[in-house]
Amino acid sequence: MKAFEFAGPTTPELAVQALAGKAGAEALGGGTDLVNRMKDYVSSPSRIVYLKDIAGFRHTDATPTGLTIGAGITLANLLADPVVAKDYPGLRQAALEVGTPQIRAMATVGGNLLQRPRCWYYRSGFGLLAMKDGKSMVRAGDNRYHAIFMTEGDALFVAPSSLAIPLIALGATATIQGGEGKRTIPVERLYQVPKPGMERELTIKAEEVLLSITVPPAKGKNASYEARWKQSHDWPLALCSVNLTMDGEAVSDARIILGAVAPVPLRSSAAEDSIKGKAINMTTADVAAAAAVSTAKPLSMNKYKVNLTKTVIKRALMSAAGKHYWEA
Amino acid sequence: MAGWPENPRLISTSIPRVDGLAKASGRAKYPSDERPKGMLYGVMLYSPHAHAKIKAIDVEPAKKMPGVKAVKVLMNAGATLRYHGEDIAAVAAETEEQARDAVRAIKIEYEVLPHCVTEEQALAEGAPEIVTGGGIANNRRAARGQTKGDPEAAIAKADAVIEGIYSVPVINHVCLEPHGLCASVGDGKAVAWASTQSVMATANELASAVNLAFSEVTVLTEVMGGGFGSKFGAELWGKTAAQLSKETGRPVAIFLDRAQEQLAGGNRPSATGKIKMAGMKDGSITAVVGECYGTGGITSGFDVIIPYIYSGVPNTSNTNTSVFVNAANQRAWRAPRHPQSCALTESALDDLADKLGVNPFDIRMKNLPGGNLQEVYAEEMKIGAKLIGWDRWKPRSQAAAVRGPIVTGMGMALHTWGGGGSPGNQVTCVINPDGSVEVRSATQDIGTGARTVLAIIAAEILGLEVADISSRIGNSTYPRGQGSGGSTTTPSMAPPAFDAVSKARDELFKRVAGAFDAQPGDLSLAKGQLLVKGEAKASWKDACRKLGTMPVSVTPEGRDGNAMRELTSTGVGGCQFAEVQVDRETGVVKVKKLVAVQDSGLILDMLTWKSQVYGGVIMGINGALFEERVMDPVSGRCLNADMELYKLAGATDIPEIIIEPYHTEAMRKRGVIGIGEPPTISTMAAIGNAVANAVGVRVPHFPMSPMNVLSALMAKA
Repeated sequence: MKAFEFAGPTTPELAVQALAGKAGAEALGGGTDLVNRMKDYVSSPSRIVYLKDIAGFRHTDATPTGLTIGAGITLANLLADPVVAKDYPGLRQAALEVGTPQIRAMATVGGNLLQRPRCWYYRSGFGLLAMKDGKSMVRAGDNRYHAIFMTEGDALFVAPSSLAIPLIALGATATIQGGEGKRTIPVERLYQVPKPGMERELTIKAEEVLLSITVPPAKGKNASYEARWKQSHDWPLALCSVNLTMDGEAVSDARIILGAVAPVPLRSSAAEDSIKGKAINMTTADVAAAAAVSTAKPLSMNKYKVNLTKTVIKRALMSAAGKHYWEA
Repeated sequence: MAGWPENPRLISTSIPRVDGLAKASGRAKYPSDERPKGMLYGVMLYSPHAHAKIKAIDVEPAKKMPGVKAVKVLMNAGATLRYHGEDIAAVAAETEEQARDAVRAIKIEYEVLPHCVTEEQALAEGAPEIVTGGGIANNRRAARGQTKGDPEAAIAKADAVIEGIYSVPVINHVCLEPHGLCASVGDGKAVAWASTQSVMATANELASAVNLAFSEVTVLTEVMGGGFGSKFGAELWGKTAAQLSKETGRPVAIFLDRAQEQLAGGNRPSATGKIKMAGMKDGSITAVVGECYGTGGITSGFDVIIPYIYSGVPNTSNTNTSVFVNAANQRAWRAPRHPQSCALTESALDDLADKLGVNPFDIRMKNLPGGNLQEVYAEEMKIGAKLIGWDRWKPRSQAAAVRGPIVTGMGMALHTWGGGGSPGNQVTCVINPDGSVEVRSATQDIGTGARTVLAIIAAEILGLEVADISSRIGNSTYPRGQGSGGSTTTPSMAPPAFDAVSKARDELFKRVAGAFDAQPGDLSLAKGQLLVKGEAKASWKDACRKLGTMPVSVTPEGRDGNAMRELTSTGVGGCQFAEVQVDRETGVVKVKKLVAVQDSGLILDMLTWKSQVYGGVIMGINGALFEERVMDPVSGRCLNADMELYKLAGATDIPEIIIEPYHTEAMRKRGVIGIGEPPTISTMAAIGNAVANAVGVRVPHFPMSPMNVLSALMAKA
């Protein structure tokens, strides 16, 4: 690990100053991603700006306009939050499956949203796009865990955040402190698809600090389902969160978001359209799942992820309807 | 010389390991915990490329880094690097961080050469030849064939024939404590704290590395964190630590980091087999043909036995081709070649049973090998079937009738291993005048319970408790002890321990008999008392006081092979049964229950024996469900040299495990046999068969991952 400067600001403004004050500065939350990247020399920041001492960074606030979650809240604290447990089961379920109890005790909501991809080419030091002689190493190499959507492009890694998926489904916004004050954007706009010459998958600028997430009041039904290999510490192979507004038995509005299948969290309007106006049952859930994967273009080794994606969509929908048909 | 006691007080009971509390509480000091005064941290620089030539290497920038005390080049300009992870140079510095920074400052100019890291690449037409000589051409060593009978004729006449391709990937040893040692060399002597399976072999190699006599080198392994066959010597990094210590006059520790541990610390060869198996409606197997290949990396070969276990099959043919790839060489991995041989044979056998419409239990019973294990297998199978509830077994065709995604299934498999002891090892037994007792030998406890077993033997013979015995091992200067591999440690060390303690007792009797107005033959020991003609006369301590100032110390000659057979034996069976639950929509396999029935002669400590079986089964579950070393065909690098993407079970992935020792009177009479390898062999095969039974289709490639399970289901659909 390269030697670095350390700053421990106590206000958002000081944090921005500390990040802006040196090229190559990086923000530190729980450290469960950054410290590993530093040990592996994937990232070698010149300055670490520790965010957890910022006032208000580790608080939640439930108001009539929604639940505001400080970016420094640990996943363990998020899981212990009674409002999350009551109103946002889709968020709670996704958080519950992140890492291990030890990791959830350290990892923060902001860090989960802004962690870097787990792609093994990126983590081997080949860069986000992993190009060699103008060709994608991922496309020609071992892509079993990689994207199955948007694969015409050069970015073939999958967006790693488990919390982004339910938060986007719930219509959450992110509040960011920059040099010129605060701005609020939808969570999905934290992400972008990198390309040659713009190798950055996050939209947040180097000097900006993600302060909090605001989730609108829950209405209807929300749920998440993650397909994972191991029951213990593991990453999702595919993840789906749904947020459904109901009109009696029928879905009047739907947000269906997919994780671990594309370089950004992916909204499936095809699946949403197919379920609107319908009751949720095995047939309509199957149709929604099939609609979602109709645009999938798997790579050489990950066709199985198309099936997995169908499964997680179906199960997230059925879970929202309270029908856990897969539980033996 | 008498044999093991007829009615033992301690032997075969459940006795906690003597160092268990220290290990569980963190007090035990492992070799990698040693920090002798003035110690420098050594770090290896290893190849980032699969295949490259070093055009130039400049270590001067590293030498100028803060804290650096010495730099050693292991691969000079002109040398060829043959795998990601191969050692190039080493640095010793005041802190680990300084050493890590310094190895990165070494400047190397590489000429990157074409590589083959997967078997597919190595076997492809026009592939670059990465190894030559030694009968290797086109990256393979020509198949060696063995044929018995007339397989083709038998296949033509069979009631059913199956043909399939089955495979097991390369997996790693993943020792919890990485390879390495801490060496202190100076004043014509060397001491090393090594994480090793053989203190003696390590001492021998270190002595030559620093040009010292063997007698001047002490290797210490009080406890260590796992080897599984991969830690038998000092190795390049250990010798380098000793040489850097000699050069700097300071102790130097080199332990691999987790990445290099995964890259170069040991791996098990892969195996792919095109297996054809033929049988008759009565369940008899009439022919097995196995055309197999696999890779043991850049230098070592691959080998399997097809058919495994079923040696009575009249018509067989087995060819094995070693494939060479740019990856670190394979090392002995808990039961070398057996798990792969078992997985290939037992998978094909279940497919044949399914085609014949025969119960997998019955087909195994029908085809058991002859000889003394036949009855052992038969009895163990009956016990295992009862414990798993095999009467609930249903044929594969039931899968299609199940509604919903969740299906369950059962599978089984058999295995075998030797586990006999080696002659010639020695133990010293010392009885001190204050009553304290020591046994000493240059063997080591790699987590198996070896230290505890020696104490149990001594306590049994001397009528004492295990806590009364100091069991001193893990020191290369003690009398010659066994390397811990191949399930040989306990059967090798139990006889010399028995001899040393028995002779020390006899010597004690001889020296103190007069003090009790008795003949040595009148004395005996029980419950901490000295008895004269069966009557308690003195406490153990009071009896020992009669020795005066001179302890008893005996080191009997090691036994020869014939004499070993009085107390030990070799050759075990064993069978395992698995029940799994598979989610057909996700391909996720959960093992619900695993039953292991195992013989191993006379069991000295039931508790440490069971721990060995639990550990073996858990290793097998990992191989069945999770483990695979992934090599990148593009860069030639290993992509999962970490503990995140190299998958291993966590506690929640471990099922209910039921262990049943097959420990009958006849087995106890066989004497001691090792238990290290057998319980890990058939776990993979049993789980693979249970998955096939559950989903109704063979998943031909291990591990049973969502990718492999869903791919098999998609291929069938």
